[in-house]
Amino acid sequence: MMEKMIFGRFMPGDSFVHKLDPRSKLLFVFAFIIIVFLANNPVTYAALFVFTLLVIFVSRIKLYFLINGLKPVIILMAFTFLLHIFFTKEGELLYHWKFISIYEEGLKQGIFISIRFLVLVFMTSILTLTTSPISITDGLEVLLNPFKKLKLPVHELALMMSISLRFIPTLMDETDKIMKAQMARGSDLSTGPIKERVKAVVPLLVPLFVSAFKRAEDLATAMEVRGYRGGEGRTRYRQLKWDSKDTLAILLLVAMTALLITLRS
Amino acid sequence: MNTSISKDSPRTRISVSELTKTSLVAAVYVAVTVLFSVISFGAVQLRLSEMFNYLALYNKRYVVAVTVGVILANFMSPTWVLDVPIGGISTFLVLILCRAITKKITNDILKMVITALIFAISMFTVAGQLTILYDLPFWPTWFTVGIGELLSMIVGGITMYLLNKRIDLSK
Repeated sequence: MMEKMIFGRFMPGDSFVHKLDPRSKLLFVFAFIIIVFLANNPVTYAALFVFTLLVIFVSRIKLYFLINGLKPVIILMAFTFLLHIFFTKEGELLYHWKFISIYEEGLKQGIFISIRFLVLVFMTSILTLTTSPISITDGLEVLLNPFKKLKLPVHELALMMSISLRFIPTLMDETDKIMKAQMARGSDLSTGPIKERVKAVVPLLVPLFVSAFKRAEDLATAMEVRGYRGGEGRTRYRQLKWDSKDTLAILLLVAMTALLITLRS
Repeated sequence: MNTSISKDSPRTRISVSELTKTSLVAAVYVAVTVLFSVISFGAVQLRLSEMFNYLALYNKRYVVAVTVGVILANFMSPTWVLDVPIGGISTFLVLILCRAITKKITNDILKMVITALIFAISMFTVAGQLTILYDLPFWPTWFTVGIGELLSMIVGGITMYLLNKRIDLSK
């Protein structure tokens, strides 16, 4: 059951990308998403693709994991590709058979969008594959710090995310146990009309909520006893460190942006 | 030295137990999303966990809980870089909107119907994102995603209604 979790997909390692600070990785990926839209001709799309392959190579992640991560979106990807191929009616006619006609522009757009799709999914997967969820949360907390001025409770949000992350596997196990317990009592979740299945979900959720609230109470007591008083003055167990590697990564991205701007038409 | 307890510190806005409850409900949201994800991502979205959206009607705390849950669940989407901020912000705003609109309504079922409709309409955020990313046509995408959401919300609404009969969610 746990293999369904992409959080669990984090692959510890010691590659260049693994060692980067989560802040620089997050900045890198967010900026990358923006510069992907700079590409508008074959050269720029090829450049993006090569750049992504390079990052994959540096991160030393097996291609298998990345392709695996593509599975949930493969239908959407194929659908988009076909939509562009069949419904763009511009440029030269390349192929015609009965009511199907494929135009040059359609094929081009289809390929471009697929590349955009691929590089986006690969880049974001690389981040989650090389960074543990807890460091992503830490990185986000720091990056969101400017929003404190807008009264956004950044520290509380990050803490809530960390606590949730900690309890997701626990609660998943629990859900599994409750499911089996109810199945043993004759409940059937996987077959039957939708009405029956909805009814079968309720006896599953009741104990789940009760136990979640109980855990929350216990945790709150534990935190209060240990003197938790909010983010002010709190010291950290995991310290973030920005070093030359991180600056290098950002510089690489700046170079890539400059390249795209020069090459785009 | 460190004898002052949370009462006299400046941060009393969110009590610790509120904070942990919020976190745990968010964790339940993610667990349910993962375990019951039939067709969760892409153009047709049917999520059982959408029923958690109704929680916000019972207690203000769940607005944040569901938002955090959505943020964490969206991290599992292959395009999370967009799904996380867009999903998080729009869920938060839509939940606040639902609370504001249904505040004066006393009938629980009517409250839920309105919430379901608001959520279905709010799917333009997802449709817009799919349009920008993959050049999918906006209106048909909005329609498909909206229908999927409405179905999830109807199923979820019935579940939540039954659930609330068993445990008091407003506590």
